[in-house]
Amino acid sequence: MIQLNNIEKYYANKGVKNYVLRLVTTTINQGEFVSIMGPSGAGKSTLLNIIGMLEEPTYGSYEFLGEDVTALNERKRIELYRNHIGFVFQAYHLIDEMTVYENIEAPLLYKKVGGAERASRIADLLDRFNMVAKKDLFPNQLSGGQQQLVGIARALAAQPSIILADEPTGNLQSAQAEEIMELFKKLNQEDGITIIQVTHSEKNAQYGNRILHIADGVVKEDVLVG
Amino acid sequence: MVPGVMLTLSAKRFTLNLINMFKLNLKIALRNLFKNKIYAAINIGGLGIGLTAFVLMLLYINHEESYDTWDPALKNVYQIRERHNFFTPDNKEHLQESNESRVANLIRQKVPQVIAVTKVDPDWDFRTGNSVKIGNADPITVYRMKDADSSFFHVFKYKFLQGSENNALKAPKSVVLKQSLARKIFGEGNMLGKVIKVVAWQGDEGTDLTVTGVIEDPETPETAGFTAIMRTGNKDKDPDNPTNSNYCQVYARVNEEADPELLNQTLKKVYVDYKKSTAPLRKIDYKSYFANGKYLQLKAIPLAEVHGNRPFEISWLEKLKPVIAICVFLLLVSIINFVNLATAQSVQRAKEVGVKKVMGAYKQQLIGQFLLECALQSMVALFLSVILIEVLLPWFNTQFHVELSFWHNANLFNILLQLLGLFTLVTLLAGFYPAWILSNYNPASVLKGNYSGSLKGIILRNVLVVFQFIISVTFIIAISVMHLQTNYLYNKDLGFERSNLINIRSGYDQNLAEKIKRIPGVQYVATTTQVMGNAFNVPEEIEYNGNKISLNTVTISMDALSALGVKLLKGRVFSKEYKQDTVNTVVLNEAAAKLIDKNPVGKSYKIIDQDRTFNFQIIGVIRNYHNEGFDKEVLPTLYKVTHLGGTSSTNNLIVRLNSDKSAAIIEKIKAEWKHAYPDFPMEYTTLDSAFDKVLENNRLFINMIMLFSTVSVSLSLLGLFALSTFVAKRRTKEIAMRKILGASNVQIVNLLNKTFLVLVIIANLISWPVAYIVVKKWLNGFAYRIDLPLYPFFLATVISIIIAVLTVSIQARRAALANPVNALKYE
Ligand SMILES: Nc1ncnc2c1ncn2[C@@H]1O[C@H](COP(=O)(O)OP(=O)(O)OP(=O)(O)O)[C@@H](O)[C@H]1O
Ligand SMILES: [Mg+2]
Repeated sequence: MIQLNNIEKYYANKGVKNYVLRLVTTTINQGEFVSIMGPSGAGKSTLLNIIGMLEEPTYGSYEFLGEDVTALNERKRIELYRNHIGFVFQAYHLIDEMTVYENIEAPLLYKKVGGAERASRIADLLDRFNMVAKKDLFPNQLSGGQQQLVGIARALAAQPSIILADEPTGNLQSAQAEEIMELFKKLNQEDGITIIQVTHSEKNAQYGNRILHIADGVVKEDVLVG
Repeated sequence: MVPGVMLTLSAKRFTLNLINMFKLNLKIALRNLFKNKIYAAINIGGLGIGLTAFVLMLLYINHEESYDTWDPALKNVYQIRERHNFFTPDNKEHLQESNESRVANLIRQKVPQVIAVTKVDPDWDFRTGNSVKIGNADPITVYRMKDADSSFFHVFKYKFLQGSENNALKAPKSVVLKQSLARKIFGEGNMLGKVIKVVAWQGDEGTDLTVTGVIEDPETPETAGFTAIMRTGNKDKDPDNPTNSNYCQVYARVNEEADPELLNQTLKKVYVDYKKSTAPLRKIDYKSYFANGKYLQLKAIPLAEVHGNRPFEISWLEKLKPVIAICVFLLLVSIINFVNLATAQSVQRAKEVGVKKVMGAYKQQLIGQFLLECALQSMVALFLSVILIEVLLPWFNTQFHVELSFWHNANLFNILLQLLGLFTLVTLLAGFYPAWILSNYNPASVLKGNYSGSLKGIILRNVLVVFQFIISVTFIIAISVMHLQTNYLYNKDLGFERSNLINIRSGYDQNLAEKIKRIPGVQYVATTTQVMGNAFNVPEEIEYNGNKISLNTVTISMDALSALGVKLLKGRVFSKEYKQDTVNTVVLNEAAAKLIDKNPVGKSYKIIDQDRTFNFQIIGVIRNYHNEGFDKEVLPTLYKVTHLGGTSSTNNLIVRLNSDKSAAIIEKIKAEWKHAYPDFPMEYTTLDSAFDKVLENNRLFINMIMLFSTVSVSLSLLGLFALSTFVAKRRTKEIAMRKILGASNVQIVNLLNKTFLVLVIIANLISWPVAYIVVKKWLNGFAYRIDLPLYPFFLATVISIIIAVLTVSIQARRAALANPVNALKYE
């Protein structure tokens, strides 16, 4: 599903190229649960952003679902966001002026999902995440863990084929983190959703089936779990 | 499923989705407004005020534009203007609204395009009141009753409520009333055949006029406005003696096909032929019409263009231009507040943009969302301004002597369209830039957290703040200079004593004058053709030492100069002791003396009239005294006494009082008047109020500038206040860090002040030359003016800096006093 070939990313600073990523080549298949690990500043977020098409590589080719991403126009990319990719952020990034319900509903509106179907999908998600009672609350009225659940529900609403999560549990305590990881595992195994997450925790990485170790922009190790 | 059904289904779903999205965006917009209540209030309130001024101006423009639009057929009506020097303020030839009365007949007979021509009284400022008597009731004064010939209603097709166009003015001694006047004097019911007695001046025995028609008041104002049209018979004929002329306004209705160009060509030819053929009858050399660059001109002006283009008046549009500029600036100031606050706030919205973008929102959708938010606010602002206008309109109307209406406007539909246009314009102006900035946020960097450094936005914001302050500082300079100039005019030595002087609207009646003179407290009773409020200039060419000099002639009674209290510079003024004073002596004013001789007293000049020569001796020189606005220089003038004591049409009976109890004395004068003229109420004005009237336009203008500049300055400051709040908020973390590192509160206040202070100083530097040019231009409109002082410039700078520093400091202090721990913990 994802095919990265010799991806490079550097920032030119006073004529010096500071490499963030060097010759990253890897394939991620449908249904995988990949964890990206490595020291701070290694380039993990950058790699995830490139996969999520939030950043462009300086060099290299990237195919998403068989399509060359570098050649995609804006409209096509937005279509991919709407139909295939869900983002989960470390800082949750819920929209403060929207209620829980509205936050989950927003991507469906952009995707132009009909009213009845929208309502049933949101009801489903709320139910699944035990948030029915909280649906009219605003993000600042929720705990961090709850906010992240809403963040994941929002990412799932559009029924994406892949979820990209940058340190989704970075701000959470271990109990909440475990809950989220269980959820990811379930989504991966039961719904077949591809998941790519960045994490610092060896324990969290164990929930997936593959780990990419990155250091200084280079993939040092690519190991399967279990 | 049939494809068509599928299509409609998906189209339906699409619209439903749009509506849902719209609802959600609206909700977000409202929640944002509530979250930022104060800024929303500043934004919307400011915009509402800016819009109010602008809409008032629009109403005014609409009002002026609506002149003479009450009947579509008026497009075939023309005002005829003739070029001559009779009754002009500068004694030179001008194309004038008043024509020699014979012009009407000339056009009627010689211009084929013309269907109907009418002669009608012009508007005289000081002598428009007629006394109207019904039966034995007390007379009432009715203004703007006009005398016309029988054709008036064939040219102006008013709607007759009673009587008919064809019969109304058929017979002489008839009168047609406007409904408003008819109601006032008769109430309701049939008025045809009723008789009113109209007395035109105090000595007039009065004319009985029969009401032959009542017409509807048109919805829009008229150039040739009136309350009643009389046909006394005076306008039916022209003077028999070819050397005598009457002056009146002439209007013509032409046929549908008439071409204005051709019409004017015909007019020109007909007029020149006429002047040529009548010159011998008038004992005038035809060539003299063209002497000294003079020429003959008769022109038809389409009625639609008359109001915007009257002789001796600056057109309303020209007068309004500074006001338009001010209203535009005011609106700009409020829009700038809007843009500044919106871009400052955009940091708060960045996350929303980033998240929506990764959810798959198109850029246009985001722009649309932010424009919608802006539209919502401008809509509220517009409603606010409509309310404000409803509240302010009565006050505005009395303050500026206009009759504007909003809901009852004849052009309401048009005005609403304009408001819609204005709403769209404001929304786009205020909303587009912030929307564009916001929708351009790059989601990757926003979601990473470093979205505060949008340098482009900051530069623009600073430019806008500078612009706002340029406007404010210019306003402050302008109002202080205007204030100084007004003070100067109010305290200016007019060259005569204006207090305790009244001017009765009447010619000199020896009997009455004697009686008034006997009232204790009355010092002088006199008449003159020239006094502030009613000056009548007559040009005269004199010959002095072989030089021909053109002077303005004023005819007065013996006491007039003393009554006015003018200052004698050389020689003497007129006096009864000198017999020749009513024959061939004159007094000059300074301006005239300057043209004639350094030491003119005792010398003589000649006047050559046809083949006779008259000699006049100069007996004195007086200081120039003012009788018109301060925009004009006092004309070089010579003063003559006539044995009659002025001419009968002067209509200035000036009375000098030498007591404090003027009210009581005026009552006594009124009693004498009533005794002499029971059918005609006495009308008078004090010279104090005549003076106020001269300065009135100026006063209104300054009041308006004051009002608008106060509003604009306060709006700018409100904007600055809100903006500094945002800046302080955004720098909370920086401030907290600095405090932990040991910065004092004062240092922190200074830190925040520095940015704005630089902006304010830049604004001052730019506004100095701008204000200098603007104010200089305004001052140049006065023939009598102050030298442009410098201190208003410094004053404005000091005021703007103090106010800006105060505003920012309040915010900065709050930020500085806050406990740094809170700020850091929160992040
Ligand atoms: N806009 C930029 N300009 C220059 N250098 C940048 C920029 N953005 C990121 N970098 C650099 O790229 C490198 C990788 O950043 P990245 O955010 O991918 O690290 P990371 O592995 O996610 O680290 P962390 O675990 O701390 O989140 C860092 O060294 C950073 O300094
Ligand atoms: Mg990272």
